[in-house]
Amino acid sequence: MPEAVALVAFLEASVRLGVPLALAAMGEAVTERSGVINIGLEGSVIAGALGGAMGAMALGGAWGGILVGGTAGAFVALVFAAFAIGLGTDQIITGTAITLAGLGFTGAIYQARFGTTGAVLSVPTLAPAEIPLLSEVPVVGSALFAQAPTAYLAYLFAPALWYFLYRTQWGLELRAVGEAPDAAAAAGGRVRWTRFWTTIFGGAMAGIAGAHLVVAHAGTFTENMSAGRGFIAIAVVVLGRWNPVLVLFAALFFGAANALQFQGQALGLDAPYQLFLALPYLLTLAALAGWVGRSRAPAALATAWPKRAGG
Amino acid sequence: MSQVLARLDGIVRRFGRVTALDGADLEVRAGEVHAVLGENGAGKSTLLSILGGLQAADSGTLSLRGASVTLRSPRNAWAHGIGLVHQHFMLVPRLSVLENLALGGQAPSRGWRLPLREIADRATDLMARIGLSVALDAVIEDLSVGDRQRVEILKALLREPSILILDEPTAVLSPPEVEGLSALLRGLARDGRAIILVSHKLDEVLAVSDHVTVLREGRTVLSVPRSEVDASSLTRAMVGVALSPGTRPGGRPASDGEIVASFRAVHTAGPSGHTALAGVSLDLRRGEIVGVAGVEGNGQRELALVLAGRAEPSSGDVDLPHGTGFIPQDRTSEGLALDFDLSENVALAAHRDAEFRSSGLLKWDEIRARAEHLRTEFAVRATDTSVHARTLSGGNQQRLVIGRELPVAKDLLVAHNPTRGLDVAATDFVHRRILCTVGARPEGPAVVLISTDLDEVLALSDRLLVIVRGRLSEVPLGQRTREGVGALMLGSVP
Amino acid sequence: MTHLGPIRAAALALGLTLAVAAGFLGLGGFDPIAAGAAMMRGAFGSSNAILSITMVRSVPLILTGLAVALAFRAGIWNIGAEGQLYAGAVASVWVGLVCDALPWFLLLPLVLGSAALAGALWSAIPALMRVRLGIGEVITTILMNFVGIYLAAFMVVGPLQEARGVFNQTDQIAEAARLPLLMPGTRLHAGFLLALMLGAAMWAMFRWTHIGFEIRAVGVAPNAARIAGMIKGNRVVVITFLASGAIAGLAGGVEVAGVTFALYEGLSPGWGYTAIAVALLGGLHPIAVLGTGLLFGAIEAGAAEMQRTAGIPASWVTAVEALVILSVLAVDQLRRRSHA
Repeated sequence: MPEAVALVAFLEASVRLGVPLALAAMGEAVTERSGVINIGLEGSVIAGALGGAMGAMALGGAWGGILVGGTAGAFVALVFAAFAIGLGTDQIITGTAITLAGLGFTGAIYQARFGTTGAVLSVPTLAPAEIPLLSEVPVVGSALFAQAPTAYLAYLFAPALWYFLYRTQWGLELRAVGEAPDAAAAAGGRVRWTRFWTTIFGGAMAGIAGAHLVVAHAGTFTENMSAGRGFIAIAVVVLGRWNPVLVLFAALFFGAANALQFQGQALGLDAPYQLFLALPYLLTLAALAGWVGRSRAPAALATAWPKRAGG
Repeated sequence: MSQVLARLDGIVRRFGRVTALDGADLEVRAGEVHAVLGENGAGKSTLLSILGGLQAADSGTLSLRGASVTLRSPRNAWAHGIGLVHQHFMLVPRLSVLENLALGGQAPSRGWRLPLREIADRATDLMARIGLSVALDAVIEDLSVGDRQRVEILKALLREPSILILDEPTAVLSPPEVEGLSALLRGLARDGRAIILVSHKLDEVLAVSDHVTVLREGRTVLSVPRSEVDASSLTRAMVGVALSPGTRPGGRPASDGEIVASFRAVHTAGPSGHTALAGVSLDLRRGEIVGVAGVEGNGQRELALVLAGRAEPSSGDVDLPHGTGFIPQDRTSEGLALDFDLSENVALAAHRDAEFRSSGLLKWDEIRARAEHLRTEFAVRATDTSVHARTLSGGNQQRLVIGRELPVAKDLLVAHNPTRGLDVAATDFVHRRILCTVGARPEGPAVVLISTDLDEVLALSDRLLVIVRGRLSEVPLGQRTREGVGALMLGSVP
Repeated sequence: MTHLGPIRAAALALGLTLAVAAGFLGLGGFDPIAAGAAMMRGAFGSSNAILSITMVRSVPLILTGLAVALAFRAGIWNIGAEGQLYAGAVASVWVGLVCDALPWFLLLPLVLGSAALAGALWSAIPALMRVRLGIGEVITTILMNFVGIYLAAFMVVGPLQEARGVFNQTDQIAEAARLPLLMPGTRLHAGFLLALMLGAAMWAMFRWTHIGFEIRAVGVAPNAARIAGMIKGNRVVVITFLASGAIAGLAGGVEVAGVTFALYEGLSPGWGYTAIAVALLGGLHPIAVLGTGLLFGAIEAGAAEMQRTAGIPASWVTAVEALVILSVLAVDQLRRRSHA
């Protein structure tokens, strides 16, 4: 039945597109739990994408791309952290600047290296790895368990991060830093150090997400291919109430919205192509409006520590 | 003589041009409750935070059990057996009591594991031993102030300190709760610990301590056993001269001035949705000072905001006059815009007056003139009106606020904790100005003084009310003592 | 650092940016001096360059810069100028095509007015979400940017596509809907004058008017504004947010009515984001924004020349703009620390 085939293809695309959102969002959830909002996440994603492409080509394999992509994302986040945490500059504007820097620098490096013609690069890709048994479950099996290995990374990270945040001493201290940094410091915690590494971790995850976009989805790099996924990831964190497991589910949901642009016609939905492109963003707005009231952000989110001299 | 656990000699600490400590000394022995007394700004909090490892002295020595040490961090201080219970609790509001204890109540050698059950057991044991009780799974933000303090103390005791420092612990307690704390502290001292009590409250210090050290202007001026001092000698040591705080000459008979404001059955909700004011009815007359006493967190803030017309009640009738002045409790975030200059801060209150406004434009010349006039009349120490409010000291900032609000308060003045954090001289100034405003003019405004400082309220009020859980009740004349009002503050009948 | 006034701070930030940018260029194997020279040539090398390129390119930057500065002053993080600009462009093209029978003194104001209205409507959603639901406007304005870009993309292949139906663009708007030229023989249009006047008006508003004071108070000390000043913060926020959106929308309309006379995909090379750098470098001061808008207009004008002769990719300009923002933030923060 063609409809069933289209449905399975849609589900498979949903997961494939949801995975980078999940990775970036889970990383950002950890970052925000420590009180830092990294609007520069988009910069980490695009840096991870370019790093993924160049790394995979240079190292001759897709995993090389993932590695380089993750490192690139972490590096961008490090720059953000140096300003926003080290110097104490405003997190929102600094993040915006980092995103612009990420987009600008990756575009410039790409054009300088590969020319301005927009030729498609041939990047080693990451083949889907089927998990025996699980991938044979009807309908959802192949969608969930016949994905590129980065998807499995996301599935594993969700419960692992949950356990870390709620069942370990380090997770407790991290949460304290994000809720009441003065109290955390008085208890002997190191606020800025904690925020530094959560930010870099978030950047690394976003970088892996960007690399995934290249080696497991598009197979090439184009300028601005991150298309706002970093921003959507930040919204996904809110929807997932800063809980890594819920964030994974919210991300998959948005992957579905994203997938409509490819599968919409096949599924029989007749609407302008641009509407499908705009759909993830509209959906994010609607979701924020509808569901945000019931949860609260970490109390010290976006506040500098120590308290800013000018604030 | 018991063992000397800690000794600080000649401690000097400066912040820019301000000298907080100018050669302060302190000697702490095992088994004693040692009070460190001084007015606001005398340096006692700074001295004890040095002992607690929160900051380092610029010069001077610190020795623990005879050995000289430098404490680099609170962790460091804990390792030496020194525990500090802060005035402003260092608790994470959204975590549970147990999680907060896990955060702050363990030895520094942490790994990644979180042995919650083990900590719960230790806490329960400790609570039984010292006679303290608090629910381990309650969330901090749901707890009363008194309970939160118990959690702070528990947190500190779990680390088994030999020196326990409490910074202004009674500031947020009602008189009976202060009794309970005193008994607890005496018991802890008997076990061989040293308890250091930092306070500016004379009576409580006299009731609890074995030994008293007085700081003034960053120096130790007195350090003697409790038996050798009394209230007046301590006051002299604290301020250098015996000051009689401004008081009203006798209690005036009930004012028969016109009613300028009235409330009927006013209800409001607090920030987290619960009821803050639960059916308040009140009439305010010209020329009278109505004092509202109460423990922090019983609806004072909402009462102040609604009285001053800054907030709407959710139900009830409110009749407020036009000429209202408001001195909010937090001058740096609610009273003043720190990054505005003096003129702009005056404009903040004056911008709605027809006097300073004409068809959508602000008359900056008039505003600047008013600011200049204010600066001289209220003795605000600033070079001119173009300096930012941030550069002023606390006392001068409060003068600015008062100078701005008093002229506007033709019918009603609402003052919420107007002397919080001010030294004796500034407090005196504020009290005098309030009295002046009420008394001088024949048609003076009504004044509402909402304060957690019981002495202030007792001294200044004509009519005295107590606010408990959002309800007001009047204190009869015969009950206007600290004990009597204290009982009412807890909602009990004497 | 303590006595660094705002102008010297901006100059220092600019200097830092140039140094860092030159360093990167060197690392990439480019010649920074040649790049700089090419940029200067492209921006100021001839009267044509100055009048028809630099000054013309500065118009949307000044306008969006003013829009962003206004919002930031009130403590509103309007990152959505890009989407608001596109909304204004769409509205202006629509009106300019549909109402082509009207005379210029009616049509032109209508075109520009509808652009401003569309921009305001575009900012209304994030404004309401902030004020009613407490949702931070950073994410919502950014999301609206994408929606605005896709809306414009849809319009030029759908309802507003040119009659020929060949390219993804609209027909040209009526003559009566176009802005007159300030200097014949150049491309310098009246929009430039409009931008200058708007800057002056905004400065006057902040300095003398009541609402200007309220906006500043809400931005500088929102709590004190509410409690000490009895300023209804939400009312001020909504008004300012809408005004900011309107000015950004106007930028789109001015670009259509003054330069392109039509709408196509990629009308804006990211002016809404560059506006942030323009506003911050100008210290959020309306008159200074006129200057920084011109500066960035020069940078963008020179970028094309830089790509042609020195081989530097055009995306580099975005990176440099980001460096400007970071330098301003760093210099600002160091100034604050030395004050405290």
